[in-house]
Amino acid sequence: MPRLSHTSPQTLRLFEALLADPVRWRYGYDLSKETALASGTLYPILMRLTEQQLLETGWEPSEEPGRPPRHIYRLTEDGAALARQRLSARAVSRPSTRRIEGLA
Amino acid sequence: MSATPPLVRESAVRRLAYRVLVTAVRGRRERGGDWGEAVLAEFGETRGDWEAVRWAAGGLRAVWRELPRPIGITYRAIGLVVVSVVAGLLINQFVLTVGYVPSGSMEPTQQIGDRYLLDKVSYRLTGIHRGDLVVIVDPVGGGGDVPANPRVKRVIGLPGDTIECRDGQVWRNGKQLEEPYLANGVDDTRTDCTTVKVPSNELYLLGDHRLVSQDSRQSGPFSEALVQGRVLTRVWPFRR
Repeated sequence: MPRLSHTSPQTLRLFEALLADPVRWRYGYDLSKETALASGTLYPILMRLTEQQLLETGWEPSEEPGRPPRHIYRLTEDGAALARQRLSARAVSRPSTRRIEGLA
Repeated sequence: MSATPPLVRESAVRRLAYRVLVTAVRGRRERGGDWGEAVLAEFGETRGDWEAVRWAAGGLRAVWRELPRPIGITYRAIGLVVVSVVAGLLINQFVLTVGYVPSGSMEPTQQIGDRYLLDKVSYRLTGIHRGDLVVIVDPVGGGGDVPANPRVKRVIGLPGDTIECRDGQVWRNGKQLEEPYLANGVDDTRTDCTTVKVPSNELYLLGDHRLVSQDSRQSGPFSEALVQGRVLTRVWPFRR
């Protein structure tokens, strides 16, 4: 049976952070701080979500001169819907911590 | 506000981490992939050496994931090679291998230095037949601590067969054998033996070069358990 996608604890943590204010563009570094995910964990998740059009990205010119533009992220409508669904699914299944989400 | 690039006054550790990341992201290009550049652009946000190093190290993972398709295919190719080598070793060990002829005891069928293909499996299913060439490893044949060499012999008698020699010719169950594989010349083909009835689970084996071969004439029938495989064909030299 295939595992349900986007249910890892790391991805859910990222969903929480992005859903806090879904319309705001976010920076990679700030998301890393907020979710306590290392860049090597965070960016592959961001890449995967972007590939599946769950996340939109953009480049924001830096206010400080001499600094490169920063890459920014926010959930698409589909992404936000999926994120809410995954988080609520976790909330339901949490009491029985042994159960693996998505396999029920 | 100064226009100086912020990294100039950074610590040596941060500069090194930054250099490594830039090299990984851009290589010799002006600009790297989007995601590599994204990680790079955030580098200036990190505080302290430790965070900078961790950020750069994680960035390498993003860069790796962003690499173009051919790398992925190469990765698969490496996997394929590893699996093939392991499969090849297993096949060589248990199914099919190439053997080397160290002695002249099978002349003229096999010359010293020939390579032959040895089938280690199918004879267990189809059984061994009269006339087959088999390879045996005789534990006493090596003498003392010296490991015995594999020896190629021809199956003359199966369990239940009576083997005897009359006037230098081999007889099996009262019939004289036709042995076209022997060399021409009385000296080389003359076979003398004591009459024996082959017990069950044993084989009466002779080398084709009767003058020099050490075989069942001296040591009697061999246990079938000593058989390592059946010779399929010569693989080297191609032609004789």
